[in-house]
Amino acid sequence: MPTTGNNVFTPWATVALLTALLGAAPTLSSAQDAENPYTSRIDVRTGRRLFQAQCSTCHGLNAAGGNESTGPDLTTGRFRHADSDAGLFRVIRDGVRSTSMLGLGADADDQSVWQLVTYLRSLDVTAGGTPTGSAAAGRQLFAGKGACTSCHMVHGQGKRLGPDLSQVGDRRALGDLQTDLVQPDTEVSPRWWTMKASGPGGQIVEGLRMDEDTFTFRIMDSDEQLRAFSKYGDWTYERLQRSTMPSYAETLTEDERNDLAAYLFSLRSEP
Amino acid sequence: MTPTTMVSPVAVALTVLGLGLGLAAIAPPVAAQPRSVDGAAVFSPVTWERLVNAADEPHNWLMYNGTLDSQRFSRLDQIDTSNVGQLELKWAHHIPQLDRAETTPLVVDGVMFITESPSNVVAVDAVTGRPFWRYDHPLPDDLRVCCGRNNRGVSILGEMLYMSTLDAHVVAIDGRSGSLVWSRQVADYRSGYSKTAAPLIVKDQVVTGIAGGEYGIRGFLDSYDAKTGERLWRTHTIPGPDHPDNRSWAGDSWRTGGSPTWITGSYDPELNLVYWGTGNPGPDWNGDVRQGDNLYADSVLALDGDTGEMSWYFQFTPHDVHDWDAIQVPVLADIELDGETRKAMLWANRNGFYYTLDRETGEFLLGKPFAKQTWAEGLDENGRPIRRPDTSPSQEGTLVSPMAGGATNWWSPAFSPRTGLMYVNAFDGEALFFSREQEYNEGDNFTGGGTETPLPIEHYHSAIRAIDPTTGDITWEFPITPRSRAGVLATAGDLVFSASVDGYFYALDAGTGAPLWHISLGGPVHAQPMTYAVGGQQFVSMTVGNTLYTFGLDGER
Repeated sequence: MPTTGNNVFTPWATVALLTALLGAAPTLSSAQDAENPYTSRIDVRTGRRLFQAQCSTCHGLNAAGGNESTGPDLTTGRFRHADSDAGLFRVIRDGVRSTSMLGLGADADDQSVWQLVTYLRSLDVTAGGTPTGSAAAGRQLFAGKGACTSCHMVHGQGKRLGPDLSQVGDRRALGDLQTDLVQPDTEVSPRWWTMKASGPGGQIVEGLRMDEDTFTFRIMDSDEQLRAFSKYGDWTYERLQRSTMPSYAETLTEDERNDLAAYLFSLRSEP
Repeated sequence: MTPTTMVSPVAVALTVLGLGLGLAAIAPPVAAQPRSVDGAAVFSPVTWERLVNAADEPHNWLMYNGTLDSQRFSRLDQIDTSNVGQLELKWAHHIPQLDRAETTPLVVDGVMFITESPSNVVAVDAVTGRPFWRYDHPLPDDLRVCCGRNNRGVSILGEMLYMSTLDAHVVAIDGRSGSLVWSRQVADYRSGYSKTAAPLIVKDQVVTGIAGGEYGIRGFLDSYDAKTGERLWRTHTIPGPDHPDNRSWAGDSWRTGGSPTWITGSYDPELNLVYWGTGNPGPDWNGDVRQGDNLYADSVLALDGDTGEMSWYFQFTPHDVHDWDAIQVPVLADIELDGETRKAMLWANRNGFYYTLDRETGEFLLGKPFAKQTWAEGLDENGRPIRRPDTSPSQEGTLVSPMAGGATNWWSPAFSPRTGLMYVNAFDGEALFFSREQEYNEGDNFTGGGTETPLPIEHYHSAIRAIDPTTGDITWEFPITPRSRAGVLATAGDLVFSASVDGYFYALDAGTGAPLWHISLGGPVHAQPMTYAVGGQQFVSMTVGNTLYTFGLDGER
């Protein structure tokens, strides 16, 4: 697998020079009317690489502007000169007249421009939508009716039988959080699978799969005790690839779930 | 170890050198740790005859794959199924440069040669791990390496070591002092060429390959005069336009078609044939720009041992678009097939199929999947895959098994003539393969796409598999969680040693796959185990993380 690579564009300075000499917007291609066809994680990675080579001088290495960068922060999900992917495509390729934003030029291939769009979209934490519910109400539900704290910890409060949610808004989009509440088995991290161990004399111990390797595994049981087992000793084991979390499809109303999702989405690391 | 009184080496040195200088008076003899092997670490020149008959001196590990047939089988049997559970740590060697440690050390008469990241070699006492000398190869800052700054080992002829370097040189180093004797540029690293594999000694030649399949190189295999470093022959792994097989590449795509040779091959002295695997065609995931079979990428080549002229080739994956390098060690073994002894070559390929070939002619004898694969219906009577439609990388991603990393990879397999089984590190994975347009720029990454694994690694299955080369069937498997990037060693103690990314080093019963011993050493493994003996004691060594560990039985020592 390759892990490194260099830019495939004309160097930035050359583009700037060409744009200055020609002094006119390059011809538009049909690509700007289409949907972005390059949206995989591969394209995010390639787009980031292209961004760091082409755009980071002004917009910062992580597109957040600031420090010595002169270009605006591109991570907010809002762009002054574009309100769609096609608009972003046009700005990246053609630049913005009468500003220091120089486009890549008409020679830039569509694929690369789209990959830059994909990268910028990947930085937007609100890409999955903005909350309609009340985070304050969701907070009440979290500790109250939802009984989430009987498994989850937030800022040191709660239990240990589910993921710590103190920064869940950083890693899950709003739509994912809403799905998690009604379909907890859709995407279960192996860390939260259950290991069921059966030992001598009919003993059975179940617990969350904290870690597993070729010869051993370690779990947290329902009493939050840490327990370690050998795979080749007296115990047999079974791996249950499902979540221990209940679905809230019946026990909470849609409005309550929206409130809860809004609360979870608000849980972020410090900016 | 005999616990009788031993003369300290310090005392010997002082007696020999010091008496006339009065040194004995200021440095009285110190009671040294008693060792029956004191003074034994003196190697005699490793002749070509010794290399041909390396299996007959199993206390030494004289080349990357142990022997010219690359079976990675040792006749040592002091450590066996009955006592392997008593293995204990004897010593450890820390590798100072942190990167993937992929080395297989050599041991020659009590001296061990360990290569280190990025392109260094250190000689240590094989009983204690303490150093004699080290050679640190100077490297430029702008190397082109796809997959880590690593080196897999040296080769030896006479008293000279030969090593590949990341700046695409081959160097000759004096085995007693670590002095550089000659250095030869093989290719220009700025064009994407690099070297990571141990060379193979063939008579008086240093045969050595090249890496760079992700940089649009044109692959080759070279031979250098061991004494002078003069290049004797170069065989391109992509034929030039004067050869009919060049037409297996559309247009000029052959010029940047990859097909590197980044793992060590094998040699059959009776047939005088060098066998070498070739890597992926480039760009890896966009085959549209290189229509055709793309010969001789993803193949095994059989070359004349004196001239490098091709005797035959067998292409495992014509027109590969999944990065399935045929960079596996060619395992040579004579096996019974339909009542006939065949000079065979055993090959578990990155593409998910196991093959038994006739190594004299390249004839396909049998083959079948040894790991999960979804890209082919099977192999036809000539061993050519019957490809399924819609398995090529695409703009939106195409789900295919094996993943790009393969059903196996460069991790050395082993073959035990005692069990008749081949032991392979196998992985049942899958990946989404994406194809992208990409222009070639010299020295830049040139892959034409990428891959991603849709699920966490825990969803997939990994194992050491024992394959019967007479049928291609799997006799047993030992499951690994989550996976392994280690090679395998087989011994006459009927043991199979290997390791895994979770940091275990372990021994299995070669007949059944039952785990007999394991130890958690804490770091991921990217190397191969090897075994040797000094003073009648067998050791087994494995590099885990950035430390080489050596184990042995308690015994008297």
